[in-house]
Amino acid sequence: MKGMFNELSRNKWYYLMALPGLLYFLVFCYLPLPGILIAFKDYNFKDGIFGSRWVGLQNFAFYFQGDYAWRTTFNTLFINANYIIFGTIIAVAFAILLNEIRKSFFRRMYQSLMFLPYFFSAIVVGNFVYLMFSSKFGLFNQLRSLIDQAPIDWYSAPGYWVSILVGVYIWKNTGYAVILYLATIIGIDNELYEAAALDGANRWQNIRYITLPLLVPTITIVTLLAVGKIFYGDFQTIYSIVGDNGLLYETTDVIDTYVFRAVKNVGDISMPAAVGLYQSVCGFLFVLGCNWAVKKINNDNALF
Amino acid sequence: MSIRKPRYSISQAILHAVAIAFCAFTTIPFVLTIMVSISGESSVIKNGYSIFPENFSLNAYRLIFSGDEIWKGYMVSITVTAIGTGLGLLLSAMLANTMARQKVKYRNGIALFIFITMIFSAGLVPWYIFVTKYLHLKDTLAALILPMLINPFHVFLIRNYFKSLPQALIESAEMEGAGPFYVFMKIMLPLSTPIIATVALFYSLAYWNDWGLALWLIDNRELYPLQFILFKIQSMINYMSTQGNLVSGNQALPTETAQMAMVLVTIGPIILVYPFIQRYFVKGIMIGAVKG
Repeated sequence: MKGMFNELSRNKWYYLMALPGLLYFLVFCYLPLPGILIAFKDYNFKDGIFGSRWVGLQNFAFYFQGDYAWRTTFNTLFINANYIIFGTIIAVAFAILLNEIRKSFFRRMYQSLMFLPYFFSAIVVGNFVYLMFSSKFGLFNQLRSLIDQAPIDWYSAPGYWVSILVGVYIWKNTGYAVILYLATIIGIDNELYEAAALDGANRWQNIRYITLPLLVPTITIVTLLAVGKIFYGDFQTIYSIVGDNGLLYETTDVIDTYVFRAVKNVGDISMPAAVGLYQSVCGFLFVLGCNWAVKKINNDNALF
Repeated sequence: MSIRKPRYSISQAILHAVAIAFCAFTTIPFVLTIMVSISGESSVIKNGYSIFPENFSLNAYRLIFSGDEIWKGYMVSITVTAIGTGLGLLLSAMLANTMARQKVKYRNGIALFIFITMIFSAGLVPWYIFVTKYLHLKDTLAALILPMLINPFHVFLIRNYFKSLPQALIESAEMEGAGPFYVFMKIMLPLSTPIIATVALFYSLAYWNDWGLALWLIDNRELYPLQFILFKIQSMINYMSTQGNLVSGNQALPTETAQMAMVLVTIGPIILVYPFIQRYFVKGIMIGAVKG
């Protein structure tokens, strides 16, 4: 105890400088934690978190007994898995492709144009999607009419939307990921390629036997970090695109959009709190699992 | 590489073609938005959204700038972005500074305290109840700033950068009698401009583009940020289009083109600064990739 006071007074200015930041985390991340109790209660605003009646696991039962638990969980995992798989493949391919382009002017220009969508808000993205897929005025139905195909009423056809969402993800995030992978490629020791050239290796062999293997650690880390967040749906993008259009829920309703609707449109508090807790706990277990996996592969890259 | 290569080759041409195709994919929605926003509403109704509109008109811009909603939206967005970025950056850097100093004994405890928030959260509902019922942030400007003030990821990014600075320099300054605040302001920050600039830009972008906080916490129209105004317009138009016939009674208003004009109004500032700032983002991502 005495040692603690000594330390606090010796470095008091450092602790004071950290204090406002620590207060932020205390208030916005730790103080809401007791609110987890809401998941086990029949919450009403008047009695508050501690005064409301206990209901045991009833809120969880409501969610898990309906069709929603399976549907929202499946959609969340399925959409995120597709994001990870296709997002990674495309980004690695373009990072290698850009690296092969010899004129640096063009390389930089392509990189800039690919990176641009990263700067648009989810609302703007939702708007772009509407430009493409609006059944009356959209670009896709215009293209279909050019080749004599009947227009599709996209916004009432749930079957297309996972592909569309993945397309949007690739559109928005490839630029960012390309920069990440290019940073690794640029860091590869040039001597490796020179040695390979002496042995008569061609471009494909360089990519296949040098670039790709050396990219694997970065790919693994990026992927595992994404897998750690797989229980969290892409709320802002999905809600901006799908909104309250119930016709598309079948394939696009994720845990986060479900929770939002339950609170904001239905006015329910306790059941969504239970769903949120289920999501937090599953998400936490996934992070631990992924970190364990990272540690097995390369201890330096583990988060903790 | 030592081997000579032809200046022009088929393989280079293919690479360029693929890259150009992908760049077209990333930029076409943006170009289309510009073109629709300056086309006549009748052209859109007749031919759909088109990169080559039949007639031009600035009616959409006249319509959206006729009220004062957009100006208020700009004021809210600019205020939130400026205060949020400034305050968030300052607190993040101070926190990182403490965590980076070897002699601070509890630095790892502080890091753990922050790290836990990255991997476990109470969930949205407890957060929402706490922020509205106990902090009474609903319908305040602070509701758009405080809940996302510090991004823990960026705190660690700054800390790692601080740690990589020459410690001998800091120690010698302290030996000369410089206090922690002096060292922070005059040595740490000036030596770390690349990472500080990057984090500042990431914070600004996050604040400028955010609408989730408004969605949860703002009902008062006076406090709508730009993005949220766009969201409201968009959901209203989507709603009308699902109602089919309702739209025809309203055809005098250029709703389709106005929506696109509104999109440009919200992304305009970003597009204007993009050519100048994007290299800082690239640098930041690379620092994160190498050190993170």
